Amino acid sequence: MAEPYLRVEGLVKRFGPFTALGGVDLEVYPGEVHCLLGDNGAGKSTLIKTLAGVHQPTEGKIYIEGKPVAFRTPRDASDAGIGTVYQDLAVNPLLSVTRNFFMGRELKGLLGTLRMDEMNKIAHDEMLKIGIDFSDPTQAVGTMSGGQRQTLAIARAIHFGAKVLILDEPTSALGQKQQMGVLKTIKRVRARGDIAIIFITHNEIHSRLVGDRFTFLALGKTIGAGTNSEIGDEEMRRLMSGGAEMGDLKQELAAI
Amino acid sequence: MANANEADRLKQETGLQKLLRRPEIGSFAVMLVIIVALAIASEGKSFNALGLKNNIAIIAQYGIIATGAAVLMIAGEFDLSIGSMIGFAGMSMAMMLKWGLPFGLGEATPFLAFIITLAMTLAVGWLIGTVVVRSGLSSFIVTLGFLFFLRGVTEVSFRLINKSTQISGLPDYKEESWFANIMGGDVFGWFYDLWFMLGGNLNRRGEQWVEGFDARFLWWLVIAGVAYFILSRTQIGNWIYATGDNKEAARANGVPVNRVKIGLFMFTAFCATMFAACQVFDTNTSDAAKGNLMELFAIAIAVVGGTLMTGGFGSVIGVVFGAITVGLVANAVFFIPAIDGAWFRVFLGAILLAAVFANERIRKRITGGI
Repeated sequence: MAEPYLRVEGLVKRFGPFTALGGVDLEVYPGEVHCLLGDNGAGKSTLIKTLAGVHQPTEGKIYIEGKPVAFRTPRDASDAGIGTVYQDLAVNPLLSVTRNFFMGRELKGLLGTLRMDEMNKIAHDEMLKIGIDFSDPTQAVGTMSGGQRQTLAIARAIHFGAKVLILDEPTSALGQKQQMGVLKTIKRVRARGDIAIIFITHNEIHSRLVGDRFTFLALGKTIGAGTNSEIGDEEMRRLMSGGAEMGDLKQELAAI
Repeated sequence: MANANEADRLKQETGLQKLLRRPEIGSFAVMLVIIVALAIASEGKSFNALGLKNNIAIIAQYGIIATGAAVLMIAGEFDLSIGSMIGFAGMSMAMMLKWGLPFGLGEATPFLAFIITLAMTLAVGWLIGTVVVRSGLSSFIVTLGFLFFLRGVTEVSFRLINKSTQISGLPDYKEESWFANIMGGDVFGWFYDLWFMLGGNLNRRGEQWVEGFDARFLWWLVIAGVAYFILSRTQIGNWIYATGDNKEAARANGVPVNRVKIGLFMFTAFCATMFAACQVFDTNTSDAAKGNLMELFAIAIAVVGGTLMTGGFGSVIGVVFGAITVGLVANAVFFIPAIDGAWFRVFLGAILLAAVFANERIRKRITGGI
């Protein structure tokens, strides 16, 4: 097996007395979709925020290509090739696609002027690569659908050098058709072969459709992990509900 | 591909349709109506040689501060201290010219008086911006504090040093100081010379009537031109829009949101100082009440020009049209003696409300009705 691009070992994050992560291990390989599953409050958000440099781990180590790293800021993480696409996507609805695409990393010419034509072209081409053909990159992001905005944020992260793409519940709050669009986008990014994807989701079906590897979190701990073929449907359901046996749940529900 | 079809749901538009959707179109239409109505009602007097000069003088005043207010609003903040900053800067310059430099450092030249004043106002602008971004408080309340604070400092300083809240009868520095001349002198004299040569611009004796526009006309064009260029063509412009639209998104993408905001509070302070300098060197007077209510005019003009109250959207060109509209109406009473001057405020209130509704519609159209 190839070397994982990103490896997390015994990651612990405490906020005062509260332990959000109690020792999480994770290995992410290029060209794979790694699904991170777990109930609300399982620690998914804390984990990705730690990987994205928003939080600093209390204990444990993060390795990139085998070398230990420490992120002090989100900038450190993105410089190390970790691109995070948050649920709110960090886009500005009133600005054009191009202006959003290059926000904070504009291409400058003389006197700090924007190389607008070049930027329009790059934004258009990068979006096309992962499956959206935009006739007009000067249109406001506000006119785009949720799925398209998701694609914009993903294309932006990849263009600016993401080797690990963290997608924070990209399919939630979308319609059925748009969810499928996002899953296609994930598949296309996976097909490039050089990018590792961490896909956070609540949705069992979605993770089955695109996932290569799964990690299940509950109450800040890894409660299960494996590849798509290793984990059966029953096992998956059990782990997704936080480890409680479905049988127990049935009994509990029946008792009410 | 499901998404590819969806992308083209946005209708392709013709050039004319695109023009009609520009943010400036509303303020441009209102401006045209006002120009025509005023020309008719004043029997052409508001656009004769002197009328044009006087109208441009007040339009440029409004335009200078409205540009600052609009760019700051695009970044999502307000500055209510503009008017008091004008009073403070005017006081500072006039006081140095009359009583010499602080700490007995000798006589002040107009240029020195301006530079020292600008250093102070920029420092105050920096302080306001820093307080706003560090505290996370609404700029409305922070700058309201500075509105009172600066006006108070202006009056107190006047009384302590000058024993009176106004200075008049300063010598006319425009004769010997190049700097006073570019702030308070005449500009674009060629325009009136040309007009005279073509047979117009005559006074009753048949001599050339008006020599040139007030210098603030030039400064307004410079400030608006630079602001337009920066907003629409540069990286900093993109940062300003991004900051005002969704601050957190901008920050997550590496835009230095706080520095953008602090810089723009300094820019409004700069605009207020330019306003004051043009006034002081034009009239050679100063008064503690100068600039009163100007912050509200600046914000009103920015809104009439199509700037969104919530930030992220607006255009300097629209603000230029807004300044022309409001300036012409403010001055109309001088050309149409029959009307009551208070109608100006009635009008301003009405178009302000109309503009807010129009801007909100534009915002909804852009963001797809969200």
